[in-house]
Amino acid sequence: MFTTTQVGSWPRSKSMLKALRDYRLGRMNRKEFNTVADDEVRRTVRIQEDVGIDILVDGEHRRDNFYSFITDKVDGTRLMSLAEMLDEVEDRSGFEEMLDTLDVPASAIRNPTCVGRLKRREPLAVDDYLFVKTLTDKPVKITLPGPYLLSRSMWVTRYAGKVYKDQFDMGDDVVSILRSEIEELAQAGCEFVQFDEPVLTEIVMSQECGRRTFM
Amino acid sequence: MGVELDYAADLMNRIIDGIDGPRIGIHICRGNWSTREDVLLTGDYGPLLPALTKMKVRQFVLEYATPRAGEIKVVGEALSGSIPGTDIPRELGLGVVNPRTTEAETPEEIVDKTRLALKYYRPEQVFLNTDCGFGCFANRCVNVEEVATAKIRSIVETAKMLREEYS
Repeated sequence: MFTTTQVGSWPRSKSMLKALRDYRLGRMNRKEFNTVADDEVRRTVRIQEDVGIDILVDGEHRRDNFYSFITDKVDGTRLMSLAEMLDEVEDRSGFEEMLDTLDVPASAIRNPTCVGRLKRREPLAVDDYLFVKTLTDKPVKITLPGPYLLSRSMWVTRYAGKVYKDQFDMGDDVVSILRSEIEELAQAGCEFVQFDEPVLTEIVMSQECGRRTFM
Repeated sequence: MGVELDYAADLMNRIIDGIDGPRIGIHICRGNWSTREDVLLTGDYGPLLPALTKMKVRQFVLEYATPRAGEIKVVGEALSGSIPGTDIPRELGLGVVNPRTTEAETPEEIVDKTRLALKYYRPEQVFLNTDCGFGCFANRCVNVEEVATAKIRSIVETAKMLREEYS
Protein backbone atom coordinates (compact mmCIF):
# COMPACT_ATOMS: atom_id res chain seq x y z
CA MET A 1 0.00 0.00 0.00
CA PHE A 2 1.03 3.59 -0.70
CA THR A 3 3.64 2.47 -3.23
CA THR A 4 5.95 5.38 -4.03
CA THR A 5 7.17 6.35 -7.47
CA GLN A 6 7.71 9.28 -9.83
CA VAL A 7 6.22 10.46 -13.09
CA GLY A 8 9.49 10.09 -15.00
CA SER A 9 11.93 12.90 -15.72
CA TRP A 10 14.73 14.21 -13.54
CA PRO A 11 16.59 17.57 -13.77
CA ARG A 12 19.42 17.42 -16.32
CA SER A 13 22.94 18.25 -15.28
CA LYS A 14 25.10 20.69 -17.26
CA SER A 15 27.11 17.82 -18.71
CA MET A 16 23.94 16.00 -19.79
CA LEU A 17 22.61 19.13 -21.47
CA LYS A 18 25.88 19.58 -23.28
CA ALA A 19 25.86 15.95 -24.42
CA LEU A 20 22.27 16.25 -25.65
CA ARG A 21 23.22 19.30 -27.65
CA ASP A 22 26.46 17.87 -29.02
CA TYR A 23 24.78 14.60 -29.99
CA ARG A 24 21.93 16.44 -31.71
CA LEU A 25 24.36 18.54 -33.70
CA GLY A 26 26.46 15.53 -34.67
CA ARG A 27 29.47 16.61 -32.63
CA MET A 28 29.29 13.54 -30.41
CA ASN A 29 28.73 9.92 -31.39
CA ARG A 30 26.19 7.65 -29.83
CA LYS A 31 28.67 5.72 -27.74
CA GLU A 32 30.08 8.89 -26.19
CA PHE A 33 26.56 10.18 -25.61
CA ASN A 34 25.52 7.00 -23.85
CA THR A 35 28.59 7.11 -21.63
CA VAL A 36 27.49 10.49 -20.30
CA ALA A 37 23.82 9.48 -20.06
CA ASP A 38 24.59 6.17 -18.32
CA ASP A 39 26.38 8.07 -15.56
CA GLU A 40 23.41 10.38 -15.09
CA VAL A 41 21.02 7.43 -14.93
CA ARG A 42 23.30 5.73 -12.38
CA ARG A 43 23.20 8.81 -10.15
CA THR A 44 19.43 9.18 -10.50
CA VAL A 45 18.88 5.52 -9.62
CA ARG A 46 21.19 5.80 -6.61
CA ILE A 47 19.33 8.86 -5.31
CA GLN A 48 16.01 7.04 -5.55
CA GLU A 49 17.42 3.96 -3.84
CA ASP A 50 18.96 6.07 -1.06
CA VAL A 51 15.67 7.88 -0.52
CA GLY A 52 13.75 4.57 -0.59
CA ILE A 53 11.44 5.00 -3.58
CA ASP A 54 9.62 1.73 -4.42
CA ILE A 55 9.34 1.88 -8.22
CA LEU A 56 12.25 3.60 -9.94
CA VAL A 57 12.49 5.68 -13.11
CA ASP A 58 15.59 6.36 -15.21
CA GLY A 59 15.02 10.11 -15.22
CA GLU A 60 14.58 10.32 -19.02
CA HIS A 61 18.10 11.77 -19.28
CA ARG A 62 18.50 10.60 -22.88
CA ARG A 63 15.37 12.39 -24.02
CA ASP A 64 15.22 15.86 -25.54
CA ASN A 65 11.67 15.93 -24.25
CA PHE A 66 9.14 13.28 -23.29
CA TYR A 67 7.75 12.86 -26.83
CA SER A 68 10.24 14.46 -29.25
CA PHE A 69 12.84 11.77 -28.43
CA ILE A 70 11.08 9.28 -30.68
CA THR A 71 12.74 10.97 -33.67
CA ASP A 72 15.89 9.08 -32.61
CA LYS A 73 14.04 5.77 -32.94
CA VAL A 74 11.32 6.08 -35.56
CA ASP A 75 11.84 6.50 -39.32
CA GLY A 76 9.73 9.12 -41.05
CA THR A 77 10.16 11.73 -38.32
CA ARG A 78 12.09 14.96 -38.01
CA LEU A 79 12.95 16.84 -34.84
CA MET A 80 11.70 20.41 -35.37
CA SER A 81 11.81 23.30 -32.97
CA LEU A 82 8.59 25.24 -32.53
CA ALA A 83 10.41 28.17 -34.13
CA GLU A 84 10.94 26.09 -37.28
CA MET A 85 7.30 25.04 -37.23
CA LEU A 86 6.16 28.65 -37.23
CA ASP A 87 6.50 28.63 -41.00
CA GLU A 88 3.97 25.82 -41.24
CA VAL A 89 1.14 27.09 -39.09
CA GLU A 90 -1.75 28.91 -40.69
CA ASP A 91 -2.10 31.58 -38.04
CA ARG A 92 1.54 32.47 -37.52
CA SER A 93 1.03 35.61 -35.45
CA GLY A 94 -1.57 33.86 -33.31
CA PHE A 95 0.81 30.95 -32.70
CA GLU A 96 3.68 33.29 -31.82
CA GLU A 97 1.48 35.22 -29.44
CA MET A 98 0.35 31.98 -27.78
CA LEU A 99 3.98 30.85 -27.27
CA ASP A 100 4.82 34.20 -25.77
CA THR A 101 1.79 34.29 -23.47
CA LEU A 102 2.43 30.75 -22.29
CA ASP A 103 6.09 31.42 -21.56
CA VAL A 104 7.16 28.83 -24.15
CA PRO A 105 10.63 29.32 -25.66
CA ALA A 106 10.01 28.49 -29.32
CA SER A 107 13.62 27.62 -30.05
CA ALA A 108 14.09 25.35 -27.03
CA ILE A 109 11.04 23.13 -27.39
CA ARG A 110 11.08 20.57 -30.16
CA ASN A 111 8.41 18.49 -31.84
CA PRO A 112 8.60 15.06 -33.51
CA THR A 113 7.09 16.00 -36.88
CA CYS A 114 5.97 13.25 -39.25
CA VAL A 115 7.71 13.67 -42.61
CA GLY A 116 7.40 10.15 -44.03
CA ARG A 117 5.95 6.72 -43.38
CA LEU A 118 6.47 5.91 -39.71
CA LYS A 119 8.49 2.83 -38.91
CA ARG A 120 9.92 1.74 -35.58
CA ARG A 121 13.60 1.45 -36.47
CA GLU A 122 14.59 0.48 -32.94
CA PRO A 123 12.84 0.16 -29.57
CA LEU A 124 11.76 3.44 -27.96
CA ALA A 125 12.58 2.46 -24.40
CA VAL A 126 13.35 -1.26 -24.08
CA ASP A 127 17.09 -0.51 -23.91
CA ASP A 128 16.49 2.11 -21.23
CA TYR A 129 14.60 -0.48 -19.21
CA LEU A 130 17.31 -3.11 -19.57
CA PHE A 131 20.00 -0.63 -18.54
CA VAL A 132 18.20 0.43 -15.36
CA LYS A 133 17.70 -3.22 -14.46
CA THR A 134 21.48 -3.67 -14.45
CA LEU A 135 21.60 -1.05 -11.67
CA THR A 136 18.76 -2.09 -9.39
CA ASP A 137 16.63 -5.03 -8.25
CA LYS A 138 13.65 -2.77 -7.68
CA PRO A 139 10.70 -2.57 -10.07
CA VAL A 140 11.03 0.05 -12.82
CA LYS A 141 8.54 2.34 -14.48
CA ILE A 142 9.01 3.16 -18.16
CA THR A 143 7.31 6.21 -19.64
CA LEU A 144 6.13 6.44 -23.25
CA PRO A 145 4.40 9.26 -25.10
CA GLY A 146 0.69 8.54 -25.38
CA PRO A 147 -0.86 7.70 -28.73
CA TYR A 148 -3.19 10.68 -28.75
CA LEU A 149 -0.36 13.10 -28.01
CA LEU A 150 1.66 11.63 -30.88
CA SER A 151 -1.18 11.45 -33.37
CA ARG A 152 -1.79 15.13 -32.72
CA SER A 153 1.66 16.64 -32.32
CA MET A 154 3.32 14.70 -35.16
CA TRP A 155 0.79 15.81 -37.74
CA VAL A 156 1.81 18.82 -39.82
CA THR A 157 -0.29 18.69 -42.98
CA ARG A 158 2.38 19.97 -45.34
CA TYR A 159 4.64 16.99 -44.54
CA ALA A 160 2.47 14.22 -43.16
CA GLY A 161 -0.26 14.88 -45.72
CA LYS A 162 2.04 13.68 -48.48
CA VAL A 163 2.26 10.24 -46.93
CA TYR A 164 -0.94 9.73 -45.00
CA LYS A 165 -4.55 10.28 -46.00
CA ASP A 166 -5.33 11.97 -42.71
CA GLN A 167 -4.44 12.03 -39.02
CA PHE A 168 -6.31 8.77 -38.37
CA ASP A 169 -4.36 7.02 -41.08
CA MET A 170 -1.11 8.12 -39.41
CA GLY A 171 -2.61 7.23 -36.02
CA ASP A 172 -2.84 3.58 -37.09
CA ASP A 173 0.94 3.49 -37.48
CA VAL A 174 1.40 5.22 -34.11
CA VAL A 175 -0.70 2.45 -32.56
CA SER A 176 1.36 -0.31 -34.14
CA ILE A 177 4.63 1.31 -33.01
CA LEU A 178 3.47 1.62 -29.41
CA ARG A 179 1.89 -1.82 -29.44
CA SER A 180 5.19 -3.39 -30.55
CA GLU A 181 6.97 -1.42 -27.85
CA ILE A 182 4.72 -2.54 -25.03
CA GLU A 183 4.87 -6.15 -26.21
CA GLU A 184 8.66 -6.07 -26.06
CA LEU A 185 8.65 -4.29 -22.70
CA ALA A 186 6.31 -6.99 -21.37
CA GLN A 187 8.61 -9.66 -22.70
CA ALA A 188 11.60 -7.99 -21.04
CA GLY A 189 9.75 -8.11 -17.72
CA CYS A 190 8.99 -4.41 -17.35
CA GLU A 191 6.91 -3.85 -14.24
CA PHE A 192 5.14 -0.58 -15.08
CA VAL A 193 4.49 1.28 -18.33
CA GLN A 194 3.08 4.77 -18.17
CA PHE A 195 1.69 6.57 -21.21
CA ASP A 196 1.89 10.36 -21.04
CA GLU A 197 -1.14 12.15 -22.42
CA PRO A 198 -0.90 15.75 -21.18
CA VAL A 199 -2.56 17.04 -24.31
CA LEU A 200 -5.87 15.45 -23.30
CA THR A 201 -6.45 18.28 -20.86
CA GLU A 202 -5.97 20.76 -23.64
CA ILE A 203 -8.94 19.59 -25.66
CA VAL A 204 -11.27 20.11 -22.73
CA MET A 205 -9.65 23.00 -20.89
CA SER A 206 -8.02 25.27 -23.42
CA GLN A 207 -11.31 26.85 -24.41
CA GLU A 208 -12.19 27.60 -20.84
CA CYS A 209 -8.71 29.00 -20.24
CA GLY A 210 -9.10 31.02 -23.45
CA ARG A 211 -6.13 29.56 -25.27
CA ARG A 212 -4.59 26.45 -26.75
CA THR A 213 -1.05 25.23 -26.14
CA PHE A 214 1.67 24.07 -28.49
CA MET A 215 1.37 20.26 -28.32
CA MET B 1 -14.56 17.35 -28.41
CA GLY B 2 -16.47 14.09 -27.82
CA VAL B 3 -15.08 12.64 -31.05
CA GLU B 4 -11.53 13.47 -29.98
CA LEU B 5 -12.05 11.90 -26.56
CA ASP B 6 -13.49 8.72 -28.09
CA TYR B 7 -10.55 8.56 -30.45
CA ALA B 8 -8.07 8.98 -27.57
CA ALA B 9 -9.69 6.12 -25.64
CA ASP B 10 -9.80 3.92 -28.73
CA LEU B 11 -6.10 4.50 -29.49
CA MET B 12 -5.13 3.57 -25.96
CA ASN B 13 -7.20 0.39 -25.89
CA ARG B 14 -5.87 -0.77 -29.25
CA ILE B 15 -2.35 -0.57 -27.79
CA ILE B 16 -2.91 -2.23 -24.45
CA ASP B 17 -5.69 -4.76 -25.07
CA GLY B 18 -4.53 -8.24 -24.14
CA ILE B 19 -1.09 -7.16 -22.92
CA ASP B 20 -0.04 -9.24 -19.93
CA GLY B 21 2.65 -8.32 -17.47
CA PRO B 22 3.35 -4.66 -16.94
CA ARG B 23 1.05 -2.52 -14.85
CA ILE B 24 -0.30 -0.01 -17.35
CA GLY B 25 -0.92 3.57 -16.39
CA ILE B 26 -1.76 6.84 -18.06
CA HIS B 27 -0.48 10.18 -16.87
CA ILE B 28 -2.48 13.29 -17.55
CA CYS B 29 -1.41 16.76 -16.48
CA ARG B 30 -1.98 20.36 -17.44
CA GLY B 31 1.43 21.21 -18.83
CA ASN B 32 4.88 21.35 -17.26
CA TRP B 33 6.88 23.61 -19.54
CA SER B 34 7.08 26.62 -17.22
CA THR B 35 7.39 27.29 -13.51
CA ARG B 36 4.72 29.98 -13.87
CA GLU B 37 1.53 28.37 -12.60
CA ASP B 38 -0.56 31.06 -14.31
CA VAL B 39 0.39 29.95 -17.82
CA LEU B 40 -0.45 26.26 -17.28
CA LEU B 41 -3.98 24.96 -17.83
CA THR B 42 -6.67 24.88 -15.16
CA GLY B 43 -9.68 22.60 -14.65
CA ASP B 44 -10.65 19.31 -12.99
CA TYR B 45 -10.62 15.91 -14.74
CA GLY B 46 -14.43 15.87 -15.05
CA PRO B 47 -14.71 16.62 -18.79
CA LEU B 48 -12.24 13.80 -19.55
CA LEU B 49 -14.21 11.12 -17.71
CA PRO B 50 -16.12 9.86 -20.79
CA ALA B 51 -12.74 8.84 -22.27
CA LEU B 52 -11.00 7.78 -19.06
CA THR B 53 -13.78 5.43 -17.97
CA LYS B 54 -13.46 3.54 -21.29
CA MET B 55 -9.68 3.15 -21.15
CA LYS B 56 -8.59 -0.29 -19.95
CA VAL B 57 -5.68 1.11 -17.99
CA ARG B 58 -5.05 0.04 -14.43
CA GLN B 59 -3.67 3.26 -13.03
CA PHE B 60 -4.43 6.93 -13.55
CA VAL B 61 -1.38 8.97 -12.63
CA LEU B 62 -2.81 12.39 -11.89
CA GLU B 63 -1.79 15.81 -10.65
CA TYR B 64 -3.26 16.72 -7.30
CA ALA B 65 -0.58 18.81 -5.64
CA THR B 66 -1.63 21.82 -7.68
CA PRO B 67 -5.02 23.35 -6.94
CA ARG B 68 -5.44 23.80 -10.70
CA ALA B 69 -6.36 20.09 -10.88
CA GLY B 70 -9.57 20.45 -8.86
CA GLU B 71 -10.96 17.89 -6.43
CA ILE B 72 -10.06 14.20 -6.03
CA LYS B 73 -13.78 13.46 -5.69
CA VAL B 74 -14.14 13.91 -9.48
CA VAL B 75 -12.02 10.86 -10.32
CA GLY B 76 -12.57 9.10 -7.00
CA GLU B 77 -16.24 8.57 -7.75
CA ALA B 78 -15.76 7.54 -11.39
CA LEU B 79 -12.44 5.70 -11.56
CA SER B 80 -12.01 3.72 -8.34
CA GLY B 81 -13.81 0.55 -9.53
CA SER B 82 -12.46 -2.24 -11.73
CA ILE B 83 -10.88 -2.07 -15.19
CA PRO B 84 -13.81 -2.57 -17.63
CA GLY B 85 -14.41 -6.26 -18.32
CA THR B 86 -12.21 -7.44 -15.43
CA ASP B 87 -12.25 -7.66 -11.66
CA ILE B 88 -8.88 -5.92 -11.35
CA PRO B 89 -9.31 -2.78 -9.23
CA ARG B 90 -8.09 0.45 -10.72
CA GLU B 91 -5.47 2.52 -8.96
CA LEU B 92 -4.79 6.19 -8.44
CA GLY B 93 -1.23 7.46 -8.84
CA LEU B 94 -1.82 10.41 -6.57
CA GLY B 95 0.30 13.45 -7.34
CA VAL B 96 1.36 14.84 -3.97
CA VAL B 97 4.28 17.13 -4.77
CA ASN B 98 4.44 19.95 -7.27
CA PRO B 99 7.59 19.49 -9.37
CA ARG B 100 7.84 23.22 -10.08
CA THR B 101 8.09 24.72 -6.59
CA THR B 102 11.25 25.31 -4.58
CA GLU B 103 10.06 23.95 -1.21
CA ALA B 104 9.35 20.30 -0.50
CA GLU B 105 5.82 19.54 0.64
CA THR B 106 5.66 18.36 4.27
CA PRO B 107 4.51 14.86 5.23
CA GLU B 108 1.54 16.48 7.00
CA GLU B 109 0.39 18.10 3.77
CA ILE B 110 0.82 14.85 1.89
CA VAL B 111 -1.07 12.87 4.53
CA ASP B 112 -3.98 15.30 4.30
CA LYS B 113 -4.07 14.96 0.53
CA THR B 114 -3.91 11.17 0.73
CA ARG B 115 -6.82 11.05 3.18
CA LEU B 116 -8.97 12.77 0.58
CA ALA B 117 -8.16 9.96 -1.86
CA LEU B 118 -8.86 7.31 0.81
CA LYS B 119 -12.51 8.35 0.81
CA TYR B 120 -12.76 6.61 -2.57
CA TYR B 121 -9.83 4.20 -2.74
CA ARG B 122 -8.46 1.46 -0.50
CA PRO B 123 -4.83 1.98 0.62
CA GLU B 124 -3.68 -0.75 -1.81
CA GLN B 125 -5.12 1.26 -4.71
CA VAL B 126 -3.23 4.43 -3.87
CA PHE B 127 0.27 5.11 -5.19
CA LEU B 128 2.08 8.25 -4.12
CA ASN B 129 4.02 10.14 -6.78
CA THR B 130 5.06 13.50 -8.09
CA ASP B 131 2.51 15.56 -10.06
CA CYS B 132 4.70 15.41 -13.15
CA GLY B 133 8.35 15.09 -14.10
CA PHE B 134 11.10 17.44 -12.92
CA GLY B 135 12.45 17.91 -16.42
CA CYS B 136 10.02 16.93 -19.17
CA PHE B 137 11.83 19.28 -21.56
CA ALA B 138 15.58 18.80 -21.14
CA ASN B 139 16.49 22.43 -21.61
CA ARG B 140 13.46 23.65 -19.72
CA CYS B 141 13.75 21.60 -16.51
CA VAL B 142 11.39 22.91 -13.88
CA ASN B 143 13.57 22.11 -10.89
CA VAL B 144 17.03 21.25 -9.59
CA GLU B 145 18.25 17.92 -8.26
CA GLU B 146 18.49 19.02 -4.64
CA VAL B 147 14.85 20.10 -4.45
CA ALA B 148 13.67 17.10 -6.47
CA THR B 149 15.46 14.81 -4.00
CA ALA B 150 13.87 16.56 -1.03
CA LYS B 151 10.46 16.20 -2.62
CA ILE B 152 10.71 12.47 -3.29
CA ARG B 153 12.10 12.04 0.24
CA SER B 154 8.94 13.68 1.59
CA ILE B 155 6.85 11.21 -0.40
CA VAL B 156 8.75 8.23 1.02
CA GLU B 157 8.55 9.51 4.61
CA THR B 158 4.83 10.05 4.26
CA ALA B 159 4.30 6.57 2.83
CA LYS B 160 6.04 5.10 5.90
CA MET B 161 3.75 7.02 8.25
CA LEU B 162 0.64 6.02 6.32
CA ARG B 163 1.65 2.34 6.18
CA GLU B 164 2.06 2.28 9.94
CA GLU B 165 -1.37 3.74 10.37
CA TYR B 166 -3.23 1.64 7.82
CA SER B 167 -1.60 -1.79 8.02
